[in-house]
Amino acid sequence: MMLTYTVVFSVTVPQLAAGKSVTQYASGIFIGLIVFNLFSELAYRAPMLLHEHVNFVKKSIFPSETIAWTATIRAFTYGGIAFLVFLAFQLVTGGGLHWSLLFTPFLVAPFALLILGVVWFFMALGAFTRDVAHIMASIVPILMFATPVFYSLDQLPPHIAFWLRLNLIGDYIEMFRAITLDGRLPNLFGYALVVVISYAVFWFGYQFFMRYKSVIVDVI
Amino acid sequence: MSSEPIIVSQGVGKAFQLYAHQNDQLKQILFGLWKQFYKEKWVLNDVCFTVSKGERVGLIGRNGAGKTTLLQILCGITRPTRGAFSVKGRIAPILALGSGFDGLLTGRENARIGAAILGLSRRDVDACIEDIAAFADIGPSFEQPMRTYSSGMLARVAFAICAHAKADILIVDEALSVGDEAFQKKCETFIANFAKAGTILMVSHDLDFLRALCDRVIWLDNGVVRLSGEPATVLDAYRAAMAES
Repeated sequence: MMLTYTVVFSVTVPQLAAGKSVTQYASGIFIGLIVFNLFSELAYRAPMLLHEHVNFVKKSIFPSETIAWTATIRAFTYGGIAFLVFLAFQLVTGGGLHWSLLFTPFLVAPFALLILGVVWFFMALGAFTRDVAHIMASIVPILMFATPVFYSLDQLPPHIAFWLRLNLIGDYIEMFRAITLDGRLPNLFGYALVVVISYAVFWFGYQFFMRYKSVIVDVI
Repeated sequence: MSSEPIIVSQGVGKAFQLYAHQNDQLKQILFGLWKQFYKEKWVLNDVCFTVSKGERVGLIGRNGAGKTTLLQILCGITRPTRGAFSVKGRIAPILALGSGFDGLLTGRENARIGAAILGLSRRDVDACIEDIAAFADIGPSFEQPMRTYSSGMLARVAFAICAHAKADILIVDEALSVGDEAFQKKCETFIANFAKAGTILMVSHDLDFLRALCDRVIWLDNGVVRLSGEPATVLDAYRAAMAES
């Protein structure tokens, strides 16, 4: 925790003020928060999801993997509403809307896959031990600062930025900023890489959940 | 009555994993290849029986005999550790009162969700929602949030949904005992009618209820079928065994 605070506030914050208007800066943070809140809400909820729906799992014939779908759709609906607010804010403050916004669905789709995979994984893990929920409560805040929510990756020295690039949420935030604020498409090679990794997470999460699905009924 | 087997259970056995600590479950997943963290407890052992189409079968046994686990296996909710079973047709299970009901939603909304979970399409639900309301017969409470319901009212709605699910097999786990006399009468009539087209498997501790409604009773004891046959014979033997212990 101390380490993340140190890096974030010593390296990035002083550079924030330079060269950006208040609204630009606010919009950047807002996009970052929309994406990250979507992730964090589900990260907090996922381990408890099966416990909340224990009756569905144990007492009725119900495909429990759909619980992840509904939770994800719910979170994306909230995210979508926030995004509309952002668009309205852009119009009002004269930021304007870029044509690159049309690319949004191509970012949302792989992001949803990534999130679904994560939810499935933690949903299964959380069924076995409730401690996962407590661990998430301490990991997510750290992750928040390790994600370019309040800053952007190119403000960082390269040796730190490299490690933060491994955080997919951060990559998504940067790409969302690119298409909404800068009016340019993301680097296509980076985009392809992120899509592939997201799909891998989705696939792995699904396999993990389905593999332990039958065991979960007995342990929950 | 045709004798086409609908439910066949061949040597079904189920072992639960007993853990000394909660987190041993996680350790078992991570390191299960190297070390076993649980003790096995066999709640079902070599259960064999057949239920034919149109039969009304009662399931009895003392608490912990494995009745609910057996029903869960037949519903496909949990897998047997060994043995095989087959079920032909669609099942409507009432395994617990108000399972899957959301206390904040009204009876009507919960009935819609419950019917959807049982596999009815939106159109089917629209078609039968009024019938469900009429069958549950709880008046204006049907439009109230379910957290305000008594357990009897919950049972009425739960049973009403399953009764309209157009299932081939009805599996009932002690759900009817909380309803009042009038509702129990209604259920008995329904079950008697249902058996003309479908198959029923029910668990109950109300022996007179089973005697009146079942064609056959299966007595489950310590995870095995101890006796199966005419309701009168099995229930008398069961009653005698209960009196002894």
